[in-house]
This record gives sequence, structure tokens and C-alpha cells, in this order.
Amino acid sequence: MEALPQTLLFGVLRSGLYALTALGLAISLGVIGVVNFAHGEFVMLGAYSGFWLYMLLSGPLGLGPAVSPLVILIGIPLSGIALYIVATGIYRFTLRPVLRQPELNQMLLTFGLSILIVNATSITLSPQAKDANLDWRFDVLDLGFAGVTYARLAVFAVCVALVLASYLLLQRSRLGKQMRAVAQNRLGAQLVGIHVDRVYEIAFGMSAALAAAAGVMLVFQTQVSPFLGLGTLLKAFSIVVLAGLGNLTGVLWASLLLGLAEQFVSQYVPGGSALRDGLFFVIIFVVLLARPGGLRR
Amino acid sequence: MRRDLGLWAIFLVVVAAVPWTFVGGDRYLMFLANVMLMFMTMALSWDVVARTGQLSLAHGAFFGLGAYSVAIAFKLWALPPLVGLVFAAIVVAGIAFALGLVTLRLRGIYFAIATLAFAEVWRTVALQIPDLSGGTVGIAMPPLFGGDRVASYYVIGAIFTLSLALSLAVRWSRWQYAVTAVRANENVARVMGLDVVRVKVGLFTASATFAALAGAFYMPFITHTDPFDAFDIGRSVSALVFPIFGGLYTSAGPVIGTIVMRSLEEYLRVTPPWKDGYQVVYGLVIVIAVLFLPRGVVGLAERYVGRLPWHFSR
Repeated sequence: MEALPQTLLFGVLRSGLYALTALGLAISLGVIGVVNFAHGEFVMLGAYSGFWLYMLLSGPLGLGPAVSPLVILIGIPLSGIALYIVATGIYRFTLRPVLRQPELNQMLLTFGLSILIVNATSITLSPQAKDANLDWRFDVLDLGFAGVTYARLAVFAVCVALVLASYLLLQRSRLGKQMRAVAQNRLGAQLVGIHVDRVYEIAFGMSAALAAAAGVMLVFQTQVSPFLGLGTLLKAFSIVVLAGLGNLTGVLWASLLLGLAEQFVSQYVPGGSALRDGLFFVIIFVVLLARPGGLRR
Repeated sequence: MRRDLGLWAIFLVVVAAVPWTFVGGDRYLMFLANVMLMFMTMALSWDVVARTGQLSLAHGAFFGLGAYSVAIAFKLWALPPLVGLVFAAIVVAGIAFALGLVTLRLRGIYFAIATLAFAEVWRTVALQIPDLSGGTVGIAMPPLFGGDRVASYYVIGAIFTLSLALSLAVRWSRWQYAVTAVRANENVARVMGLDVVRVKVGLFTASATFAALAGAFYMPFITHTDPFDAFDIGRSVSALVFPIFGGLYTSAGPVIGTIVMRSLEEYLRVTPPWKDGYQVVYGLVIVIAVLFLPRGVVGLAERYVGRLPWHFSR
């Protein structure tokens, strides 16, 4: 059982990125009530912006060791703002017109957007996966019982900070309260004078900005490719389903559970690294079979 | 209705005559004709589920499961392909029934998410059981009728005819009212005494069976498949884009949509800069159709040509 502390640590570290990705999905689902099948593509676009920034900083500018922190410090605000603008545009011109249509049309629309973005990216850039060789991906911090790359720690720290900031925004700010009010009761929120359409737009933009931030951090962990959205989306789905659709606080512990479960399966189950990729499915179906409303409601 | 039936009969005669025209002598065109009927079956069966207001992203997986069922049955028991078709249909119908029971009691959102997860997990499963599935190498079987594409055309033609019969039956029987009620408002349908879950699960199972038959035909037709080909999400996408383009909730829509879109795909696939990214057109078609053309080509034709001489879309 020597590997236990390491497994626990890696599982927790793994869950940070999951929480950030799933929180954005849960916000758009909870507030607007639309399943965004293109959420994974927002993550993918964020990852490309992070990758380009890495190329720019390490190539022509030649900043060497400063590249890793700069990708975070510049990349997250920049890609967050960019994706916020893109997403509010998508909301205004495509999503808003179908909000009163049947659920099937809404889901078809976001699914169509997903296919559109993936393949447009694959055509304009390249279907090939790309690797950012950031220093932090290879520098290891020795904790005694386990060695951790700086990248893992940075990803976790940034994700936790952004998730906490989002919760703070939702709990304390006027806008956050409006979002939660709309999520709880659309009609009631309208009756007390909340501009629901504006809240929808901001919520969708914010959800995309969080996805973009998650994408930038993804560059520290894996390769960037136009097709990374689907796998990301499915894991986020499993978290959102486990938390209960639209339950924002549930996202935290659901992410932790998925992260730990994946780490334990790949550590202790023979052939586990492959089985790990099927865990999202197990979680979704166990929840649907056991407690269709999510485990916490 | 009788007039519609006549038009569909003429259509089927034309379909049956295709191998006797110039197409029959050309191996590539004959290949394309087979594939067209296969995708028409997929599109028609997907549309039947859409009529209940549900978004199925699992039809590509049912296709893949059908393909693997035939291949594995051949490998283990040397089951001939035509018997294998029946075997695959039974296996997948069972799986789809179970999936439907679990997910169709819930809101449509859960169903869509669950079918996407279902579609994506089978690749992992197939890679995990190499003894049965052949792993990454894939699985092979001898060609149907020794590679005679005219003979195989009539096999897939028969499957297509059955799927068309399902689509038309849902429209012409009392099921039409049940299906439309479920799509329009599930709660109201339930209050009116309709067993909503039974309608949805029943049609989903029937629909999945046809997707499986298409896959079960594909396997001996193409002779080899692997987890990445059999469980390609692209086939689920095709199954939904074709009816959307042609016109949802109709029988003519999926057929017309398949002919147009699959031909376009055949061109885009070999034409830069589209190539493998040809699905960008599919994404565009979905978005444009949902926003501006909810009834697809059939709806467009009715709007501009006026009411068509036959009641195509109602």
C-alpha cells in the first residue's frame, strides 16, 4: 500500500481541472437550461490559444524559463475574454432564437455547433495533435512520498482559484444572485425584475470563459488537438450528472470523486489505464439507475 | 394515403431497377448504391426516435454493435451472414431495450447525454476484449455472396424497405397520435392516459434494431472492421444530419437527405481543403436547418412549390 498517499494526491490534483470544466457546463445548464454539447469545443479553443501563446513566448520572444508562468498569467485572461465574446455572439445569433423551441432543437443546435467547430478547426489548423514542451511539465518537485511535476501543481492551484472565485461571484455579487435566481425559477426571476435574457447571455459567456481557462491549463498536461473536446465533455457530463443537473456546489465533490476514482482504477486495477477511460460511462449509468435526480437531491 | 403508397411503390421499383441500369456495371457506383441504402436505413430509423422528441446519439453505436455481432457470431459458431443479421438484430434489440428502460423514464437531456456516453464507451470495451473483438487489429469475415454487389444490394434493399415500412407505419397508424403527443408535451400525453415510456422505449428499440441491421449488413459487405471504424461517432452524426437536411418527422425527408448529403460527402471527401474535415458541412447544415429550415428540404419545397401533389410531409 505504499502507493496509497501518492494515489490520493494525484487523484485530488486530477480533479481540479475536472471541476473547472464541469462548473462551466453546470452554469450553462443550470441557468439557461440548455445542454451545451459544444462545451468541450470551448475547452479545445482555449487550449489552442494557450498553445499559440506558448509558441509565441518560447519562439520569437525567447523568454525561456518565464514561459510557463506567463502562459498562465496572460493566457487565461486573454482566452477567457476572447471566448466570452465568441460565446455571447453564439448565444445572441443561434441559441436565443431556439430557446422557446422544443428541447430536441436546442440539443441539435449545440451538437451541430460542436461538429462545426471541431471540423472547422481541423481544416484551418491541422488534425494533428501538438505538444507544448513547457518547462513545468518536466520539472519535478520531490515531496518525499511522491514526485509531482510543477505543471500538475500549477494546474490544480489555478483551477481551484478560478473555481473558488466563481463560487464567490455566484454567492456574493448581484449578478451571481441574479444567475442563481434565474436558475431556481425563470418566471419568478422575471417577475421580480431581473433581465433574464441578459443573465442568460452573461452566464453562457462566463461558462465559455471558464472552459477557455481550463483549456489553457490543459496545455500543461496533454497534447492539443481539434478532437480533445468530446472526451472532455463526457467527463464533465458524468460530473454534472453525478452532482445533479444544474447543481453547482455538487460539482466540487463530484469532480473529486471522478478524479480519485480514475486514479485508483489506473493504480490498482490490472489494465486500469485503459479502463479509466470508461469510468465516465459507469458513473453516468450508475447514477441514472440509482438516483435519477443526482445523488444529492 | 393510398396515393402515397403508390408513389412509394414506384420509388421502390426504381430502387430495385438501379442495378439493371448503367450503375450495375460499375463497381464503384454499385458500392455507392449499397452504402446509400444503408444510410437511408440509418436515417429513417433515427428519425423515428426523433419523432418522440428524443435526441439519440447512439445510432452509430448500434450500427457498430450490429457489425461486431455478425462478425463474432461468424468467428465463434461459423454463423452465415444472413443468419447473423437476425442474431445481431436480436442482440442489439435487447441492449437498446435495456438502455431505453434506464434512460427514457427521465428528461430528454439525460437520454441525450446517456446515448452519447453509450456511443463512446464501446470503443473502450472492444479494445478491452481482444479475444472476442480482435482488439486494435479488428475483425474480419468473408465477403457477402463472394463480393457480388448486386446481390448484396438486394439484401440491404430488403432491410431498407422494412425500415421504410416502420417509418410509414408510425405515420399512418394510431401510433402517429401517440408519437406527436409525446413530442408536443409529455406531461399532457401522460394525463391523457398514454403510456409515454412504452411508446418511447418501443420505438427506440425498433429503431435501434434497424441501425443494427445496417451495421450487420456493413460487416460482411466491407469484410473488415475495427473499434475505431465500427464505433465512429461520425455515423451517429450522419444518421441525424440526413433527416434534418431532408425534413424531420417525415419518411421522404431522410431518404432525400441521404441521397443529397451522402453524394456531397462523396465529393468533399476527396476535395481539398475539406477532406477529413468534410463534416464541417454537416455541422453547418444542422445549425442552419434548426435556425431557418426546421422542416428541411421537404418543408422548403412545400413552402415554395405550394402543397405538393402528394402528402409527403404530413
